[in-house]
Amino acid sequence: MATPKPKSNNQFYLPDLCAPRMVLVIVLVAELIALVHTLSRHSVAQDFWIDLAKSSLFLLWSALGGAWLLCNLRGWLAKRSVRDGTLLSLLLILLTVTVVSEAAVWLGQYTGDTDLFPTNHLDFLLRNLSIGLIVGVLLLRYFYVSHEWERNVRMEAQSRIQALQARIRPHFLFNSLNTIASLIRSNPETAEEAVEDMSDLFRANLREQRDRISVKEELEVARIYQRIEQLRLGDRLKVMWDVNDIPMRAKIPSLTIQPLLENAIYHGIEPLSEGGTVTITGKMVNDDISIRVVNPIPNATDYTRHKGNQMAMDNIRQRMNIAYGERAKVTVEHTDSEYSVAILFPREGDQ
Amino acid sequence: MRVLIVDDEAPARDRLKRHLEDLSDYQVLGEAENGKQALDVCNTDRPDIVLLDIRMPGLDGIETARYLSELDNPPAVIFTTAYNEYAIDAFDAQAIGYLMKPIRRSRLERALQHAARLSSPQLKAITETEPRRPRDHVCAKVRNQLQLIPLDEIYYFQSDQKYTRVKFSEGEVLIDDSLKALEQEFQERVLRVHRNTLVLRHELLALDKGQDGSYYARLRNSSDELSVSRRLVSSLRKAIKRG
Repeated sequence: MATPKPKSNNQFYLPDLCAPRMVLVIVLVAELIALVHTLSRHSVAQDFWIDLAKSSLFLLWSALGGAWLLCNLRGWLAKRSVRDGTLLSLLLILLTVTVVSEAAVWLGQYTGDTDLFPTNHLDFLLRNLSIGLIVGVLLLRYFYVSHEWERNVRMEAQSRIQALQARIRPHFLFNSLNTIASLIRSNPETAEEAVEDMSDLFRANLREQRDRISVKEELEVARIYQRIEQLRLGDRLKVMWDVNDIPMRAKIPSLTIQPLLENAIYHGIEPLSEGGTVTITGKMVNDDISIRVVNPIPNATDYTRHKGNQMAMDNIRQRMNIAYGERAKVTVEHTDSEYSVAILFPREGDQ
Repeated sequence: MRVLIVDDEAPARDRLKRHLEDLSDYQVLGEAENGKQALDVCNTDRPDIVLLDIRMPGLDGIETARYLSELDNPPAVIFTTAYNEYAIDAFDAQAIGYLMKPIRRSRLERALQHAARLSSPQLKAITETEPRRPRDHVCAKVRNQLQLIPLDEIYYFQSDQKYTRVKFSEGEVLIDDSLKALEQEFQERVLRVHRNTLVLRHELLALDKGQDGSYYARLRNSSDELSVSRRLVSSLRKAIKRG
C-alpha cells in the first residue's frame, strides 16, 4: 500500500462503519469471502455447507468485531496522521482476528468438538492473521482512494465557484440587484435595460477564459459595465473614453478592459464622496496596442496595499501572460492622487 | 417613529423610502448620503431609528454608529449592506439589526419593530472585528451635538484628567479618546512632545529653549506654551529636520 502523506486538516478517510448501510455491506463482503474461501477448498460435496457455515461464523465475528472497534475508535484515529491512522487501523483489524481465532480454539477445546472448531492452534492463527493482513490492506486502500476521489470532486467544485467569484464581485452583484429592484417601480424602462445589461455582462463573464474577442466587443462589455454602475453612482462616476486610435477588429483576451474599469470604480470612485473621473486611453505604440486606465485615489498607501486590488491586478497579469507570454506588459504607476494601469499587447488578428 | 435613511446610492435610498411609505407606523425624517451628513441631521432633528449603510465614502456606517452612540439619547441603528464582507455576520442579527440588500419589506418591518440601541460591548466588538483605517478626523460631543474635527485643523491634543483636550482652528473641545489611543491611531501624523501632549506633525515648527533651560514647542498656528520633555528633544529635532 502506498503511504499517503499525513494531512492534519482533513477528516480521516475511514467511513462511519456503524452506519446501517455499512453494516450490511460488511456482512455481505464477509459472506462473499467465506464463499470464496470454501469454494477454493471443496468441491460442492457434503462437507461444503458445514465448511461454509464454519467460515461464515468466523468471518462475521471478525468483520463485525473489527468494524465495531474501528467505528468506536474513529475519532481517536482521526487525530493521527494518515500513516499512523492506517497502521493503527491495521493493527486493530489483526487484533480482532487474533481474539476471534483464540476464542474459536478455546471453544473447540472447551466443547471437545473437533468437527466445528479448529484443532491446529498455531497454524490456524497464522493463516488467519495473514488473510486478515491482506484483506485489511486492500480494504483500507479502497477506503482511502474513494475518500480522496470524493474530496477531489468537492474541491474542484469549490475552486470553480471561487474562480467565478473572482470574476463577479458579490458586492457588485447585490448592489446592482438592489438598484434594479428600486428602478422597477420608479423607472421600469431603465430597470428593463439594466436587466439586459446584467445578462450581457454575465454572459461575457461565463465565456471560456481562454477565448479571444475583438477589441470592439471587449470595449462594449466595459461600456455595459459602466452603464450599470452609472445607475448606482449617478453623477459621482464620470468615464472619459479615448479609444479611437486602436484597431477595433484586433483580438484581445476576453475580460481585460472591463476588470480594469471595475477596479478603478471600486477602489477609486466609490470611496470618494464627491466621486471622480476614470480615463481610458487606447493608442498604438509601434505595433503594440496600449490601453491605460487612470483613476483618482483617496489615499495612496491604502490603495496599493488593498488586497482586493492586488488580487485583481494579479489576475489580469496572469491572463495577459497566458495569452502573450513575454510580449505583453502590465504596468502600474501611482502618484498621491492618481492610480494608473497600462496594458500593452501585440496587435493580432485583424490583418 | 421617525426614520433617517443613510446610503450613498440614490436608488438604494429611494427603495427604502418607498418601503417606509408603505408602512404606516414609520415616517421618513430625512436622507443622508454619507456619515457626516447623517451626524448633521441627527444633531438637528433627532430620529428614532437610523438605517445606516455600512460601506460609504468618507465616514462609514460603523464609525457613524460609534459616534451616534455617544449622544445622550442615541437613536436605534439598523445596518444595511449589499454583501457581507464585514464580520458583522458573527453577531446575532436580532441583537444588532442588520439587513442585506435588496431588502424585503417584511424584513425591514421586523427589523424596525425590533430596532434597539447598540450597547457599548456590541459596538466595541463590531469595531474590533473590522480592519480600521486611521480616521482623518476626531469626533467631539458638545452640548449633546456631535462635531467632526478634521485632523488638518487640529493643533495638538493634551490630556486633561479623564478627557483629552483638542486644540484646533475654532477653539478647543474635549473628547473621550485617550492620548495613547490617539498616538497609536495617528502615528504617522502626530508627535509626542510631552507625557501629556501630542502635537500634529504639520503644526510643529521648532523647539525653543526657555530662560530656565527647559524646552517649548513652537507651533504654526498657536501661541500656547507647550512644554517638551527633555528626553524627547533630540528625536523631535530630527523629526522637524525631516519635515
